[in-house]
Amino acid sequence: MYILGIESSCDETSMSIIKDGTEEIATVVLSQMDTHAYYGGVVPEIASRMHVENITIVLEEVLNKANMTMDDIDAIGVTFGPGLIGSLLIGLMCAKTLSFVFDKPLIPVHHIAGHIYANNLVKRLEFPLMALVVSGGHTELVYMKEDYSFEVIGSTLDDAVGEAYDKVARVAGLPYPGGPLVDKLALEGKDTYKLPLPLDDDSFNFSFSGLKSAVINLVHNEKQRGNDIIKENLCCSFQNRVVEILSKKTIRALKKYDVHNLIVAGGVAANKGLRNKLEDECEKNDINLIIPEIKYCTDNGAMIGAAGYYAYEKGNLADLNLNAKATVPLK
Amino acid sequence: MKYLLINSATTNLVVAIIIDGKITYMYDKNDGNDTSSKIMPVIDEAFRVSSIKPKDVDKIFVCNGPGSFTGIRVGLTVAKTMAWSLNIPCYTFSSLELMASGFDEDVISLIDARRGFVYAGGYDSELNETYKDSYVLFDNSLSGKFVSYDSFPFSTVKPKLDLLKVISKHEKDEIINPHHINPNYLKLTEAEEKRLNDNGS
Repeated sequence: MYILGIESSCDETSMSIIKDGTEEIATVVLSQMDTHAYYGGVVPEIASRMHVENITIVLEEVLNKANMTMDDIDAIGVTFGPGLIGSLLIGLMCAKTLSFVFDKPLIPVHHIAGHIYANNLVKRLEFPLMALVVSGGHTELVYMKEDYSFEVIGSTLDDAVGEAYDKVARVAGLPYPGGPLVDKLALEGKDTYKLPLPLDDDSFNFSFSGLKSAVINLVHNEKQRGNDIIKENLCCSFQNRVVEILSKKTIRALKKYDVHNLIVAGGVAANKGLRNKLEDECEKNDINLIIPEIKYCTDNGAMIGAAGYYAYEKGNLADLNLNAKATVPLK
Repeated sequence: MKYLLINSATTNLVVAIIIDGKITYMYDKNDGNDTSSKIMPVIDEAFRVSSIKPKDVDKIFVCNGPGSFTGIRVGLTVAKTMAWSLNIPCYTFSSLELMASGFDEDVISLIDARRGFVYAGGYDSELNETYKDSYVLFDNSLSGKFVSYDSFPFSTVKPKLDLLKVISKHEKDEIINPHHINPNYLKLTEAEEKRLNDNGS
């Protein structure tokens, strides 16, 4: 079964053709990152404008790349939320139109389900599993007992982890998007700055706004004292706290739910500090760890095509009334 | 010839099927800001009522603005995707022109763009432009018979649509590749405006 996966929830217009939920036939990703970098972050209205300009171009390109036509496609999977509403709508309207014109089933895919199923393109998921979803918009621990069954056992109470990275990067004077740069500098620095371990409690929830404020205050105080900030050390100290709490709660969740499979998903899954820490901890605790290739960590149509296959198998279909949702729980 | 016409940029969502010069289906309603979920079911109904399939359509006419940014994009994405899928021509028209199309006299169509600004366009009874579609501060330089869906502190009349007039004006337009059919917002985003201002000062 060939599914056309369409993703436009933020600043990437992307489509893929995925066979049986596991095999990537073709993918096209058109990133707007360079445009938004001028503004220091994603500007929703500009993102929407770029999506509408590019949507049919991406569609034609992915079919050409796969050497297929719409007649070869069996169903259309599309991100319906969560995300930027104006951006989501472009992919959604395109998907609904294709479903209507070619009379193909329409599969609504939750963006986070997509991130989780990006791993399915690397290796078939084994259940039960725990998924740590970390990105610019999300920080969640998700328990899955079988395909396309999601139980969110913990999530961020304020900022998403990627958001905290971008804000700390800005304070440290690094250009947007700062997350990858913080990671790079962290690996060159030492953990010298005193920062709190955020929300170190018995829950599986996360909170990063306090840590972010602590970094801002620290930089401010050092400046007032006339001290230079050692960026590498600041990044290292911040990253160590983030990675420590993510790994601590994830490992505890794996133990509590007696799960031996961990997958990591979302843009921050590309973070080397997090990868290294989780590899160590999983080896110590006899956990089977899967982290997708970097290209599957960011938003893409491939993950939507993969998740869409299992949503379809579960009978998750939509009609032409399907609407985009800026926020929607993963169920 | 079978035509599909879409306008989702204004207060009223307009969807119509025209077969051999006759309107076989027309939807023209205030959809309460629910265009994105309404438009495809309405199009589906339009095809069923007219007993045609998507592949029967010869030409698409779509409004590319001005008006609600999201509204423009919703209709345009549907039209672009459909034109690309069926490999048929897609023509664009102005929301202000559509609003003026049913009048046999010179009118000025207005869409409230907030903070004292309007999208304004003047048209005569043949749909020739008498005042180019613009994003302007509303002042005394604009005068005439005003047509609008919106409420203003002066008198306006509700738009009257003559779809066949709009179609006959545009069906000989140059054919544009669907990839290059894009919105005509008449206005930059706030972020772009701010950047231009910052650079200018």
